[in-house]
Amino acid sequence: MKRRQFIRALTAAPAAPLLKAQQTAAPGPAPAAQRGRVGQPVPQFATAQPDAAAAPAPSFFDVGQFDALRRLGDLLAPARDGYPGATEAGAPEFLDFLIGVSPAESQQLYREGLDALNAQANKQFGKGFAELDDIRADAVLRPLLVPIAWEKELPSDPAKRFVAQVRVDLQTATRNSREYATAASASGRRGRGFGGSAGLYWLPIDPIYKG
Amino acid sequence: MPEKEYDVLIVGSGHSGGMAANILTQKGISCLMLNAGPQADFEKDRTSKATYELPYRGFGQPGRLTHVFQATELNANQWVDEKEVPYTYDPDAVYNWVRVRILGGRSLFWARQSFRLSDFEFKAAEIDGTGENWPISLADLAPYYSRVEGIFKVTGRKEGWPQFPDGNFVDDGGERGTDSESIKKFTEVCNRRGIGVSKMRSARGENGLASSLNLLLPDAAATGKLDIVANAIVREISLDKKTGLANGAHFVDRHSRREMFAKARVVVLAAGALESTRLLLNSNLANSSGAMGHYLHDQIYGISVVASVPEARDGKAGQGLMGGSAFLPRFRNLKKGEKNGFIKGYCVNIGSGGGANPNFFADYGDSLQKKLDSYAGSCVSGSIYGERVARFENHVRINKDVVDEWGIPVLHIEARDSDNERKLAKDAADTIDDLFHACGWETINKTDKYYPPGYSIHEVGTCRMGDNPKTSVLNKWNQSHDVKNLFVVDGACFVTCGWQNPTMTILALSMRASEYLADQMKQRNL
Repeated sequence: MKRRQFIRALTAAPAAPLLKAQQTAAPGPAPAAQRGRVGQPVPQFATAQPDAAAAPAPSFFDVGQFDALRRLGDLLAPARDGYPGATEAGAPEFLDFLIGVSPAESQQLYREGLDALNAQANKQFGKGFAELDDIRADAVLRPLLVPIAWEKELPSDPAKRFVAQVRVDLQTATRNSREYATAASASGRRGRGFGGSAGLYWLPIDPIYKG
Repeated sequence: MPEKEYDVLIVGSGHSGGMAANILTQKGISCLMLNAGPQADFEKDRTSKATYELPYRGFGQPGRLTHVFQATELNANQWVDEKEVPYTYDPDAVYNWVRVRILGGRSLFWARQSFRLSDFEFKAAEIDGTGENWPISLADLAPYYSRVEGIFKVTGRKEGWPQFPDGNFVDDGGERGTDSESIKKFTEVCNRRGIGVSKMRSARGENGLASSLNLLLPDAAATGKLDIVANAIVREISLDKKTGLANGAHFVDRHSRREMFAKARVVVLAAGALESTRLLLNSNLANSSGAMGHYLHDQIYGISVVASVPEARDGKAGQGLMGGSAFLPRFRNLKKGEKNGFIKGYCVNIGSGGGANPNFFADYGDSLQKKLDSYAGSCVSGSIYGERVARFENHVRINKDVVDEWGIPVLHIEARDSDNERKLAKDAADTIDDLFHACGWETINKTDKYYPPGYSIHEVGTCRMGDNPKTSVLNKWNQSHDVKNLFVVDGACFVTCGWQNPTMTILALSMRASEYLADQMKQRNL
């Protein structure tokens, strides 16, 4: 049908029945919702993880804090033996998200810990922690490292407590990353420990509707 | 609508409830089982996922399940949501209440360590010089242990030690193999000091599962005498005021919140020690003794000593030298008058062949990695399960100011450790360290710290049994002193828990109580 014919047909259509229907206001039967035929498969598609398709947008830490966190990642969870380090695994960006949605106590520990590192770096060397070379960074970091005999009992000193926590968190975020799993797969080994591995995930079981 | 009356109403579907249903239905007794949670479909409700696919990269959702240290982001949905069913505690006395409401309860997720209690526990007051004895002895329970061990296919090595009673073990097919040199050396050192070294005892079950769901409920269901209602949250046990007997339970449907009433001639509580106690306290019954809710105790988990075997370092940790495990059942305070500064005891788990945790060192970077590489495979670790003392002041009570998702008042839990627990823990860490040192090994980490009460998931004791109705809630048949047709067959009945995983004991007690109950019903005493 050509466009001109289509318009002509449209304008020629009787309007009366339509008007009548509007005047009586009686709703017609609702169109039946489609349900798909039982037993007939509906197409399913592989979906990508956000990290595989896009970059995270850190927003919790300020610039100085985030730069210090990245520098800590380089030092405490470096790349090794074909496995990515914290930077390559996006661990600082992930922790920016994780700590941003964590209880206030964790947020305070991290923010004050990173600020303390920067303050100490400035006091000793007149620069932020992120700008220190390895030797100077070590001079700031090493006094804050203490052995942790039991991970449920971290040091009471806030700066030492922060360093103990961030060390574990950076290593965990690195080992549990897609990049680490890819490296483990490429090397023919599964990742060590919980990280880089697959596990049996329990879906929510018959959850209640809370409105 | 016709009102159906069951012979027995069972609240809970874990090991104790499953055993009650198994025994009672096979004796022709009709049972209704109410379970607070849904039934899981092990095929549809579980899937394999890479850690990086999880929303929180394996850390878990912040603020969720803060008291369930066992929770990971992978298994978070199997535990009871603490916001849905909260509990309260004093800020200085954190309690870790770890719960499962899926049909089958915690029997779906236990570690399967399978021990009998001994008369060092059943008659503990005679050894300790304080506390209470159970009203039963090992001899009373031994026949039931044997049957339970048969059902659960328990493996173990017979030793003939009174503090570590042997069981009705199935052949493990030699899967343990021979001991490595490090385990042999450790065993020699222990034996020279009179400390017995054995092997772990565990339930093989079937197809990797030793649960109520696959070992107990199928036989019950096959009788046609068992009805199971899932998502049935029991609010209150109902009492007939004329007879003073329990006559059923009020429950609320988890999804619709519809209130229901189930009628039965006998009520059996098997919801786990604290949920059963919560239900009784909310029902305001069976507590003429005032003992209900008290004597809450569980076991100390934690205490870690790690040593490195020098000759196994730097890549020399071969199979013959490292690997394998050892198990030391309680060796402290087995003699009357033995003085160690504390009562009770602990067992020790030894594992050989691991590496060092990076947290052990105040180091990082290449220097740390060199240490980790050197220690890889050369480490031996020791940890314990120790007994906490059942003390009156450690208790639960109803907190009427806080209710759960269904408006049911929650528990307030008060449990604090005493010097006895702290001294026991210190002795354990020092002793393991000393044994490692005697082996010529270098201790690289040692802590006598341990998890808060509740962590072991072995909470027991809040409706303890006893012969005296003035000091106990239940008699020796798990039957209420006050309400004759009310039984509590889970861990609430414990007088002392020992260092042993309580599962075999709970199962044996539930079996024994259920057979007694069936007999009483047959004789028309109930």
